[in-house]
Amino acid sequence: MSSKEQKKDYLFQKPGPVSAWKYGDIFSKLSCFIMGLGNIVRGQAVKGVLFLLIEIAYIVYMIRTGASSIAKLTTLGTQQQGLVYNEEIGIYEMSQGDNSMLILLYGVVAIVVTVLFIALWYASVAAGEEARILKGRGKKVPTFAEDVKSLANENIHKLFLAIPILGILVFTVTPLIYMILMAFTNYDANHQPPGNLFTWVGLENFKNLMSSTDKLSSTFWPVLGWTLIWGVVATFSCYFCGIFLAMLINSKGIALKKMWRTIFVITMAIPGFISLLVVSTMVGKNGIINVLLQNWGFTTEALPFLSNPMWARCTVIIVNMWIGIPVTMLMVTGILMNIPAELYESAKIDGANAFVTFRKITFPYMLFITTPYLITNFISNINNFGPIYFLTGGGPLTLEYYKGAGKTDLLVTWLYKLTKNSNDFNLAATIGLVIFVISATFSLITYRRSNALKNEEGFQ
Amino acid sequence: MKKTIIGLNLKYLLGGLVASVLCGISVFLPYVANGNDTVIGVLAVVKTLSSGKGVMPIVLLIGIAASLLMVVAGIIMAVKPNIPLARIWVVIGIVQAASYFLLLFGSKSMLDSSGILSKSFMVKNFGVGYWLALAASFVALFLVMKVAKINPGYIVLVILSIIWLFPILWIVLTSLRAEQGYYVGYFLPKGFTLGNYQKLFSADSSVPFGRWWLNTLLVAVCTCILSTLIILATAYTLSRTRFRSRKAFMQAVLIIGMFPGFMAMVAVYNILKGLGLAQTLVALIVVAAAGAAMGYYICKGFFDTIPKSLDEAAIIDGANRWQIFTKIIVPLSKPIIIYTIMTSFLGAWSDYIFPSMVMGDNKTWYTVALGLYWMTDFRRIDAYYTQFAAGAVLVAIPIVALFIWLQKYYVEGLSGAVKG
Repeated sequence: MSSKEQKKDYLFQKPGPVSAWKYGDIFSKLSCFIMGLGNIVRGQAVKGVLFLLIEIAYIVYMIRTGASSIAKLTTLGTQQQGLVYNEEIGIYEMSQGDNSMLILLYGVVAIVVTVLFIALWYASVAAGEEARILKGRGKKVPTFAEDVKSLANENIHKLFLAIPILGILVFTVTPLIYMILMAFTNYDANHQPPGNLFTWVGLENFKNLMSSTDKLSSTFWPVLGWTLIWGVVATFSCYFCGIFLAMLINSKGIALKKMWRTIFVITMAIPGFISLLVVSTMVGKNGIINVLLQNWGFTTEALPFLSNPMWARCTVIIVNMWIGIPVTMLMVTGILMNIPAELYESAKIDGANAFVTFRKITFPYMLFITTPYLITNFISNINNFGPIYFLTGGGPLTLEYYKGAGKTDLLVTWLYKLTKNSNDFNLAATIGLVIFVISATFSLITYRRSNALKNEEGFQ
Repeated sequence: MKKTIIGLNLKYLLGGLVASVLCGISVFLPYVANGNDTVIGVLAVVKTLSSGKGVMPIVLLIGIAASLLMVVAGIIMAVKPNIPLARIWVVIGIVQAASYFLLLFGSKSMLDSSGILSKSFMVKNFGVGYWLALAASFVALFLVMKVAKINPGYIVLVILSIIWLFPILWIVLTSLRAEQGYYVGYFLPKGFTLGNYQKLFSADSSVPFGRWWLNTLLVAVCTCILSTLIILATAYTLSRTRFRSRKAFMQAVLIIGMFPGFMAMVAVYNILKGLGLAQTLVALIVVAAAGAAMGYYICKGFFDTIPKSLDEAAIIDGANRWQIFTKIIVPLSKPIIIYTIMTSFLGAWSDYIFPSMVMGDNKTWYTVALGLYWMTDFRRIDAYYTQFAAGAVLVAIPIVALFIWLQKYYVEGLSGAVKG
């Protein structure tokens, strides 16, 4: 058979619903409605029955709750909790009412289940088609035992990815969709189920956050600004000081390099929340640092490390350096050793001093290798919850800001406070989407620079 | 007159000598200048030694003696340079710089108690003599180290190490402190005790720390086993097999990873509640394992560097994919497996936000992070501060030990992340 003929041959179509409609027999076409039929008629009874059971389970689910869950999504509930007149008995009764939050959650679950079902439906039709094509070629259709066995070989991705995908779907994707949808509702402190309903408001939250003149937008923009400043300063301070420290320890004539490194590594090995809690108790008004500064005669009264906005911002940056510099140091050490020694030798012969060698050789080399790291580090600093939450708790609080937000709050810590303290879930979700946009923008830059995904076969 | 001696760098000799002389002169300049009360360095020693208490007057005496010795040693070096003397010069320089540095912190107590000054003393009342001595002593030390061909980077490293270890030293000392309470006006405890540790584990304590510790250990062990298995399986599949929706899966994970994790926490809590898992340790394990696959990236990068020809050879020998995974890839991936185990194990110890969401106020099932945070609440900090310190030490010690032991693998994983 020549390749031209092969192309025409219906047996060589990509198996799926399309091939089933175009080339399949009546069973193939029917298998688009009765899952597993394509397998059953071609001798794969167990597989086919399994598919059929899935379809039955889905239909039962949809009839019992799924369909109504999705239908209710459009309104998020209409019946408010309250007193309803019961004509039979002739008195007012407390009626449960609709719970918008649960309606939204169950609706999202129903949608995810449906998407999953569509994927399985596609797979079932494709499996039936595959069996048909194999039969048409006169080849043996694999039995159920052989199918199971193939999970350890050519189908190992199904075996290995089943649990991870299920986990991500249930505990990451579903909650995410739920929260993203929440950004388009008015689920705030005044619309708390089960007492109240909330409903769709479109882009209202985004408008309020960004363009209105009230407290909300005059909180959002300063917090966003501080988040970006924090991201840049925290990233670069740790980066440059870490490089400096690594070079210092690596430099000629320093004995006991391992011991020095270990001293700094201790701080990064201690779980972050412990060192941050310890430091936050140290810099408090009655903390040991203020006590010592007064005993030493540096100041007469306690310094406002955490209570003055400017001081608090500097404190979190400095404490973050205390934690972050060892990380960079550890990472950079290996890279520094990889810089070709000839470069330094020839620079020395040409009479370059230490500063020039750093500026012309070490730094460009480092920057070249670590740019992706810098950008990912910037993103993780924007989302760096720990230093802010454990040190200042976002404080000092200010009346200029929307309830709860403080002068050192990042977008993430504000988001957390909105969900945990004031129950403004719609705002939290909106801010989450803003953070996503920022992260995605910077990730895109890394992604395009690093080529890691594009050329993944490159060095094999 | 140009001499060269192997092992010495005489270029800096003159500078070192000048700095030493400046230090020596500073002794005769005003040490304190508080209004009309002005005391020069030498006189301050005489006065404080006769009336002052504590070690600080002695430190001052040592500093001044070292300054004079520096000059003497410098002059001898200029006349007859030799290596042993250069070493001695460096040692004197260290003593000198250290004493003037200590005086920056100790002078207030010394001067306040010795009655030299009628007014209270502040650092800004230091006279020109002190500041000159401090600056010149460090410059002299730097130059003298250059002369002796010792890397002056040690000065910076020592100062940085002190800064870095200071909070750690403080918490260790606090955990051993006999006096209870958050506010104390001194650094070194007046009395030492192990009682703070005992109290954490006593049965009648309102702080079931032993329980919290075991809770965390349980969560950490289960999480790291499950997460590691899931990450290895995901990374292997994505690195070694090619299937239709592979790229789509990778891109989806990339995009999902860009959402801030906190955003979905409320929803995760609701789902856990629906599954009947709220306020249990199982919830922590399940959620950590469920999200583990998102962190496949570093591990896949490592697998990508294992030559594919190994797989092909194994396939020719009749191995299936499962056997390639267990018999070839896993044995070759020790560093990355240890890295994965380590990060997920450590992550379980330091995670605070999610456990706090899941556990609420159910103190029995707290992990150490929740428990320690609970103790530092402003209503409780005074009663529990020393116990908090003891708890922090008990959590930190095993983790730091583990980390330093496996540091090599951590660095490998970290540089894998950089290259990615």
